[in-house]
Amino acid sequence: MVVGPGTQVPIALDPAEGAKSIEGRSLGRIAWTRLKRDRVAMGGGYVVIFLILVAVFAPLIVDVLGSPPNEFHQKLIDTSTLAPIGGTGISADHLFGVEPQNGRDIFSRVVYGARISLLIAFLATLLSVVIGSTLGVIAGYFGGWVDAFISRAMDVFLAFPLLVFSIALAGVIPDTAFGLSGDSMRIALLIFIIGFFSWPYIGRIVRGQTLSLREREFVDAARSLGARSPHIIFKEMLPNLVGPILVYATLLIPTNILFEASLSFLGVGIRPPTASWGGMLSEAAKFYTIWHFMFFPGIAIFITVLAFNLFGDGLRDALDPKGKR
Amino acid sequence: MIRTSKVLVAGTAALALSLSAAACGGKDDSNGSTGTTATKAEFNAALTKVFNPSDKKGGTIKLANAGDWDTLDPGETYYGYSWNFLRLYGRGLLMFKPTPGAEGNTVTPDLAEGVGVPSDGGKTWTYKIRKGIKFEDGTVIKAADVKYAVLRSIDKETFPNGPAYFEGFLNLPAGYKGPYKSKGVNTDSAITTPDDNTIVFHLKSAFGGFDYLAALPQTVPVPAAKDTGAKYKEHVVSSGPYMFDQNNLGKNFTLKRNPNWDQATDSNRKALPDGYEVALNVNADDIDNRLLSGDLDVDVVGTGVQPAALGRVVGDPALKAQTDNPVLARLWYTSINPTVAPLDKIDCRKAIEYAADKTGYQTAYGGPLAGGDIATTILPPMIPGYQKFDLYPAGADGTGDVAKAKEALAACGQPNGFETNMGYRAERPKEKATAESLQQSLARVGIKLTLKPYPQGDYFSQYAGNPPYVKANKLGLVTNGWGADWNDGFGFLSQIVDSRVIRETGGSSNTSVRIPEVDKMLDTAVAETDQAKRDAQWGPIDKRVMEEAVILPGVYAKSLIVRPKRLSNVFISEAYNMYDYLSLGVA
Amino acid sequence: MFTYIIRRLLAAVLLLFIVSAATFAIFFLIPRLVGSTPETLATRYVGRAATPETVNLIAHRLGFYDPVWLQYGRWIKGIFVGADYSFGAGVEHCPAPCFGYSFVTHQPVWPELLDRLPVTLSLAIGASILWLTFGLSTGVVSALRRGSVLDRTAMSFSLAGVSLPIFFTGMVALLLFSYKLGWTAPGGTYTPFTEDPGQWFYALLLPWLVLALQFSAQYARLTRAGMLDTMSEDYIRTARAKGLRERDVDIKHGLRAALTPILTIFGLDFGLLLGGAVLTEQVFSLPGLGKYAVDAITTNDLPKVLGVTLMAAFFVVIANLVVDLLYAVVDPRVRVG
Repeated sequence: MVVGPGTQVPIALDPAEGAKSIEGRSLGRIAWTRLKRDRVAMGGGYVVIFLILVAVFAPLIVDVLGSPPNEFHQKLIDTSTLAPIGGTGISADHLFGVEPQNGRDIFSRVVYGARISLLIAFLATLLSVVIGSTLGVIAGYFGGWVDAFISRAMDVFLAFPLLVFSIALAGVIPDTAFGLSGDSMRIALLIFIIGFFSWPYIGRIVRGQTLSLREREFVDAARSLGARSPHIIFKEMLPNLVGPILVYATLLIPTNILFEASLSFLGVGIRPPTASWGGMLSEAAKFYTIWHFMFFPGIAIFITVLAFNLFGDGLRDALDPKGKR
Repeated sequence: MIRTSKVLVAGTAALALSLSAAACGGKDDSNGSTGTTATKAEFNAALTKVFNPSDKKGGTIKLANAGDWDTLDPGETYYGYSWNFLRLYGRGLLMFKPTPGAEGNTVTPDLAEGVGVPSDGGKTWTYKIRKGIKFEDGTVIKAADVKYAVLRSIDKETFPNGPAYFEGFLNLPAGYKGPYKSKGVNTDSAITTPDDNTIVFHLKSAFGGFDYLAALPQTVPVPAAKDTGAKYKEHVVSSGPYMFDQNNLGKNFTLKRNPNWDQATDSNRKALPDGYEVALNVNADDIDNRLLSGDLDVDVVGTGVQPAALGRVVGDPALKAQTDNPVLARLWYTSINPTVAPLDKIDCRKAIEYAADKTGYQTAYGGPLAGGDIATTILPPMIPGYQKFDLYPAGADGTGDVAKAKEALAACGQPNGFETNMGYRAERPKEKATAESLQQSLARVGIKLTLKPYPQGDYFSQYAGNPPYVKANKLGLVTNGWGADWNDGFGFLSQIVDSRVIRETGGSSNTSVRIPEVDKMLDTAVAETDQAKRDAQWGPIDKRVMEEAVILPGVYAKSLIVRPKRLSNVFISEAYNMYDYLSLGVA
Repeated sequence: MFTYIIRRLLAAVLLLFIVSAATFAIFFLIPRLVGSTPETLATRYVGRAATPETVNLIAHRLGFYDPVWLQYGRWIKGIFVGADYSFGAGVEHCPAPCFGYSFVTHQPVWPELLDRLPVTLSLAIGASILWLTFGLSTGVVSALRRGSVLDRTAMSFSLAGVSLPIFFTGMVALLLFSYKLGWTAPGGTYTPFTEDPGQWFYALLLPWLVLALQFSAQYARLTRAGMLDTMSEDYIRTARAKGLRERDVDIKHGLRAALTPILTIFGLDFGLLLGGAVLTEQVFSLPGLGKYAVDAITTNDLPKVLGVTLMAAFFVVIANLVVDLLYAVVDPRVRVG
């Protein structure tokens, strides 16, 4: 009988005492319980879920609470100073006010910006995880020259002056290339750049974990039973790697959100007029005396990144038996 | 032509006399402004008058540039501010008169004794150069130096960024590549120097406005012995009242007095300050703050304050009194391309002209102060020959005439509107704002625009200015803009309404105007050597193009610039549409 | 040991080649893959009046018609032996290392890089002194007083600091401290130390603080985690049992052990910062390498981009190398592997 997650090992007790059967707890269950107890992390988690919902239901939210993100409202702008009349333009129609000069609704742009940021960050992280885990496991398991080669590759990637390089790459690709155009092209490009250059982050962790797992008894046991390498990798090691991968992926997401915001801030990320938080901050820099224009996108980035960091931290502590809290 | 030049010379003298009389006459501080001068600081005080006149010598003027200078080399520089400033260290054959008002838009002799003398029906132009003018090292300037300067500017491999008028008009030998690569080639077919003080230009075809070419910095003499090609900008040899003291490219440079400049040979310059300091690549918002505090004298590029400072200035009457609001010789417009259906029908194009929200266009560019005045013609008002008309009135509030637009749509068979694409330059937020504004205003009559941003580097060569691309991608509208190299009808219209500049391989600013009648009208005007007669022909050309509804004029650009606090003789030059840098002194 | 150093040096050099080749590929190959021709590439470097002939001339002059590997070879050769450039009326020799001439300003790139380096260096050194001091001490104190109010507050602030995008912090700081309160210098007023030390300090104060804020938050967390790790080791318990003073236990044994990984991370971070303090320099308009890179990329000035990318990679590689060598000195196991 293979003992795996969820198996219940009943222990008989005197039924007269009304005792229930004690269930064996798997690693996952233990971690989950520990996580639930960490209220700060759970708080972060709820905010994350909230943000994901906002991103998914953006069109609906904007329909109800705001105006179309690219629509101008120049009647609300004082045309000689280009500032919104009354300073910010915050009203029931425009919860976060309007942008100077063109009068666009900041609330809807922040909401749509959430879509862009989360979409790119998630998919880029997924890309990093796929590449990083695969290469990391292969390097850790097979060792030898395979490991040396992959490790050197990781060094190369980590040596690139990442931001400069990504700016260069993002700036050089025209708006129509490889069959795609416009927003979808930029999004795909950003996912590729961010994801592709972040894989060593996951790769290193996975490699390290694989190296230590390789020496454990259950691998020997499987091998002595005649299992071949692919089976060992996928059926034995990977399930044990899921924990660390999940933790570091969750911690990678906020880094990627900041990365995308930085690229958009520098003008090589998502192109205007599509709303993105970094792009809005970049435009706000020109109108530096109008505080609300820089405040709302900036706070949006802050809250999102903070929430992911809190949740990721909590996840790491929950899965780590040494518990450094 | 001789009659005109005599009038010009006499006029210049009279004006100079009256100006100096007003300056010497002391301060008119009772009500602030009298005749041609003003001393009370108020909004637009320096727009048409000399503000704070004075003859006091001494001091150093401090200027700053938010970017890098395009180039200090007179053979390659192509920006108005640079041409304005260059007169301090270079003297070309002619120059624009340093006086306020419309007179500032006329040419006056500088190195030459008088304006050009045309012959051979306008195919040959002769200039006599004053005697005894020296370079900064004491060598006397000869006609050969001017010839050399013009010829070297033709080498577009060494100087790719400069104006290309001379190689277009001069009768150069075939395959001539400039003095570096075509050494020893005889260029007498294009320029001859019968003696040390006469220079004659031979053109391929008659051109009545050649004096404007003679006013280009490319006629500033360059000593062949000291010419270092693309490195010449590191030390330009001065022929003007100031020479280069220090030159740290990309950072800053300073000018000091040129001991070999003789005031007796120069009736245009007073050379009041002792020197100039120019800082480059300074943060733009920083420039504005320092201008307003008086720490800096001039934003040399002269295109206006940044949005942040705009808010400060407009809201504060004390600060607003420190600014001027000149109109630039620049039109921001949208081309309506008749090669894209259904815009091949004139009524569909007229619908766009009527439905466009001109006030929205103006706001997109920055509003009535910093953006511009709503335009109804192609020529901006300061171009000689401008005629005021409005073929497609946009209603009382300037937001467009929806009723007339709908009538036009019905007439062209699209009563419910139609769809087309609109191109704009992605890096230009004002063009993006314009496109979005038009998208909204045209939607009111059912015209649906899909906006397409393009990189500005290739905008004309690959996209908006490339006829096959326009047709294939149904670019019915494209944002556009034009500023003349000099303020006359030719300089303004030739590149944007002449159908012959349109190339199938792309690259021209004219994307939509193909009217054979207009081409003929242009040719007639170009060949006319009488200035008054020539200027009278630009207005009708403007109107004829507007009747075809292939251009939607947006705004005549304006800029809001901060007046220097501690300088004298401040006025707006109509030639450069910013402060005249030649006449400034330190009060 | 010696062979280890040699191997790492060679690896570093190889790394630099790879980075330069990749950058070259991005700028020269990718445009071709998406359909640009030498002419369309050249249109960016000519003025408004450019005729097709001019574009052609410039495309030839800048070498766009040569195959990419040839252009790359020429550039590499320039770095080692210098190159000659024709200016129309003469020829100039550009001494090694020659990173070519800007396509836009026709000025040699290498002197410009050297000119910008002190700015980035000033920014990095000043900020790192601040963040090491503040970050490490906060982390140590937090670790020692684990679970206390002080610890929790410090860690909350650190978490917030790590979650704020630096360009947002920078912009808000500029608005508040420079423009509204006037306490610090506005953007773009940097003067070199050699010209005016007072103004140099004044201009860099806010950028230092903003940069240090972000990094101290990170380092506080790292230090705390590292300290907690080492403090739970057996030898610490032994030291205490032996009767050593608590302070000696904490600092001499605990902190020392925790510091080693922190310092290696610092080495890497410093290297990265030298290569690309792009966001800080952009927000505060500091004329350093980062801003140079962004300006070069937006104007498509390829020699400048290549130069600054290689320089940035150089710093990262050197930092990696130094860190690896230090580790080899400290930990003998590394040399064998």
